[in-house]
Amino acid sequence: MSRKASGLKAWAIQRLTAIYVGLFTLYLVAVLLFSAPEGYEAWKAWIGGPPVSVALLLFVVSVLMHAWIGVRDVLIDYVHPIAIRATLLGLIALSLIAMGLWAAQALILVRLA
Amino acid sequence: MKFLISRFNPETDSKPYMQAFEVEVTRGMMLRDALLDVKRQDESFAFRHSCGEGVCGSDGVNVNGVNKLACVTPVSELKEPVEVRPFPGRPIIRDLVVDMTQFYQQYKAVKPWLVREDPMPEQEILQSPEDRDKLDGLYECILCGCCSTSCPSFWWNPEKFHGPQALLTAWRFLADSRDQATDERLDELEGPYKLFRCHTIMNCVEVCPKGLNPTQAIGHIKNLMLKNAV
Amino acid sequence: MALNKRRFDALIIGAGGAGLNAATQLANTDARVAVVSKVFPTRSHTVAAQGGVNAALANVLPDNWHWHMFDTVKGSDYLGDQDAIEFMCREAIPTVYELEHNGVPFSRLDNGKIYQRAFGGQSQDFGGAQAARTCAAADRTGHAILHTLYQQNVRARTHFFDEYFAIDLIKDDEGAILGALIMEIETGEPLLIEAKATVLATGGCGQVYRTTSNAHINTGDGNAMALRAGIPMMDMEFYQFHPTGIAGRGMLITEGVRGEGGYLVNKDGERFMERYAPNAKDLASRDVVSRAIVTEVKEGRGCGPDGDHVLLKVDHLGEEIVSKRLPGIRESGKIFAGVDAAQEPLPVFPTAHYIMGGIPTDPYGRVIVPEGTGEEIVPGLYAAGECACVSVHGANRLGGNSLLDILVFGRAAGLDVLENLKENKNHRPMNETSVEAAMSRLTRWDQTGDGISVRELRDEFRKTMEDHAGVFRTEEIMAEGVEKLKALRDKLPDVRLSDQSKVFNTARVEALELENLFDTGIAIAYSALMRKESRGAHSRPDYPDRNDAEWMKHSLYFREGDRMDYKPVRTKPLTVETFPPKERVY
Repeated sequence: MSRKASGLKAWAIQRLTAIYVGLFTLYLVAVLLFSAPEGYEAWKAWIGGPPVSVALLLFVVSVLMHAWIGVRDVLIDYVHPIAIRATLLGLIALSLIAMGLWAAQALILVRLA
Repeated sequence: MKFLISRFNPETDSKPYMQAFEVEVTRGMMLRDALLDVKRQDESFAFRHSCGEGVCGSDGVNVNGVNKLACVTPVSELKEPVEVRPFPGRPIIRDLVVDMTQFYQQYKAVKPWLVREDPMPEQEILQSPEDRDKLDGLYECILCGCCSTSCPSFWWNPEKFHGPQALLTAWRFLADSRDQATDERLDELEGPYKLFRCHTIMNCVEVCPKGLNPTQAIGHIKNLMLKNAV
Repeated sequence: MALNKRRFDALIIGAGGAGLNAATQLANTDARVAVVSKVFPTRSHTVAAQGGVNAALANVLPDNWHWHMFDTVKGSDYLGDQDAIEFMCREAIPTVYELEHNGVPFSRLDNGKIYQRAFGGQSQDFGGAQAARTCAAADRTGHAILHTLYQQNVRARTHFFDEYFAIDLIKDDEGAILGALIMEIETGEPLLIEAKATVLATGGCGQVYRTTSNAHINTGDGNAMALRAGIPMMDMEFYQFHPTGIAGRGMLITEGVRGEGGYLVNKDGERFMERYAPNAKDLASRDVVSRAIVTEVKEGRGCGPDGDHVLLKVDHLGEEIVSKRLPGIRESGKIFAGVDAAQEPLPVFPTAHYIMGGIPTDPYGRVIVPEGTGEEIVPGLYAAGECACVSVHGANRLGGNSLLDILVFGRAAGLDVLENLKENKNHRPMNETSVEAAMSRLTRWDQTGDGISVRELRDEFRKTMEDHAGVFRTEEIMAEGVEKLKALRDKLPDVRLSDQSKVFNTARVEALELENLFDTGIAIAYSALMRKESRGAHSRPDYPDRNDAEWMKHSLYFREGDRMDYKPVRTKPLTVETFPPKERVY
């Protein structure tokens, strides 16, 4: 992310992802309340369906981006020594990427199964 | 009425301490009058003040934990004992006097002057009353510093975050129909620090003695930026 | 300890409207300019001017600068210099346009032009119907102008010495001014500023009175520095008491309130100004309205439990006009009088407001002193704004003319300094004797031991000024006052500071200000005692009439030996016919 973009773009992304995460969460709650799939196979089928899996992937990516920007903001506010901040940012980035990969892997496995 | 006042003289004290004063309250007494009474009791007590009517912006202090302009704060509204401290987050020079250099630097950094590319007309630049109304709630700022020194984001990054005061001023010029530097002003505000450290905590709105709303101004800047970006 | 020194082409002392407008002219050139101010520039008292600035733009009603000039000459009770007044009224128009171009957020008319309101003493066609000449940014015009001028100086990178207190002018044996000794308030350290031209723009001295609309900082510093440098003060007896200060507190309620349709009533609900000024009524000149209020109260028609004020009615204008055109006074009324002006009338009484007199200058801001039978310029010294006397206000200033004065003559001084710098390429040699004298003014406060406190002497002084040099002035009251003031002055050497610290010692600043209050206040009281007539703001029951034969002349007070001198009024304008003295009725 370029230096120039990290202000407005980050702010806009955080708001956009918040909206998506919010809407998708509402959808999830609705599904769970009114037509929750019964049993493991039904779950797999539901999640494995193309619309849901794409939406879910988008949800995961949104959550991670939202988290990244939020955590980055906190670190910019509170952690001023540049070496410590870079290290923390690196560790957090790695763990967020790992989470993302793990989620992607799970989704792919569901699709393949 | 009992006042606890923060005292610090760098020539003799290693750190600030609270000193108690008793002030006889008179009708219509403002906090500034009470501080003047304290100064009568002890001439070594230092605080800034001047106009006494809330327009010069000299006597901002922290009262019972809230930033206020002393000359327009009736003591009758304050809870006893009244604790008066210097603005938080600024280096203390003496007693209630703080170093506001960074606050002024942030103000200067937003290029707080009208930029006009067109040649000036012989008479006034015309402006409709509706366009002029957009400056209400912006130009009245008295640079007292109550807002910025109550802003946590400004406490953490005073050298990089413009703070609510400077951003209010930035919007004052962006909102002026006569100003012709919108793009340059918006470009200048880009990046993670100058504008985007604002997390809409809204302490600035709470404390502004002139009833101005820097958070709203900051929101306007972000929206305009977004509009110009897409 | 060696004294720190800095060299500049020009030194401006004071960062209000006059100082900043002078600086604006210089900042856009190669000249090296220092602006010294004892407070951060936007804290200067220009910020408190409410109503507006006069200029014959004719945006609302027909107008021209010649009518403006007539009103100003008449308002001055024919003591103003007509050449300077013509200069100011002509310059008013481009000055206001320049301000607008620089960003001042003036209120607007539907056609997009600057809003202008009616103010006291304004007429069309040389004394005809009411004019609307005062350009306004709501009721915060001074604030809007001061902030804009500061912003222009930020843009031009003017060199500011914020929170430095000017101690004294430095002069050489020929009387030329070489700069000033100043003190950094934060550290208490002195600093010598050498300059080829020094501009005094230190504003008013309302703190000489106990009840005043003026700020804590308005202590006549420039006037006192000039007096100590041997320069006389001109027309100091003319001190304006603004008719409508918030009763008992002194904060100002702008004349714009009456311009918008507000009016004064006494305890019987009578609109009493109709008796004192049948035509102009509540918009008569300020001295007329102030005397009327004091008379009402003295004769037992005052309002309130103590009958000590009158009421200013605004509520009939309706919520919308009040909140749109007068938001600031509504706020002040709520805070300081506990009254919402849109609902109830405001309690008001005259408050010490503005000094017409000051350091004598010509229309280019150059300080002039009597020499032989004529006058001569003090090399290297300028003055502008309230501390100066050009004289455009004469015996009484019209509302809306003080912002105009500071802007026009601040600008003129700045431009003349530029001309001056072209001719004077080098600094004159420093005069160590004068520097030592200035330093001794500072070191005098290092004396310790028992003595009178600054507060004690200041309180007594300000009370004496109020009682003996206030609105109504008789020989007896004033003669007694001058004696008392002199006796108080004799106590000055016995004043001691208990706080001897260096860092941000406001007690030390107030001690230095006390000396300035004394020099300026005594100039007022003494000049008032000597003028045996009533003219403008100077009202004497024992000499109730204006006496043009003997007293149409400017007073000059010299500090050395409390000596008076006089000089003629300049009645010849630059291009138009003289306005001969007439009886002043509104």
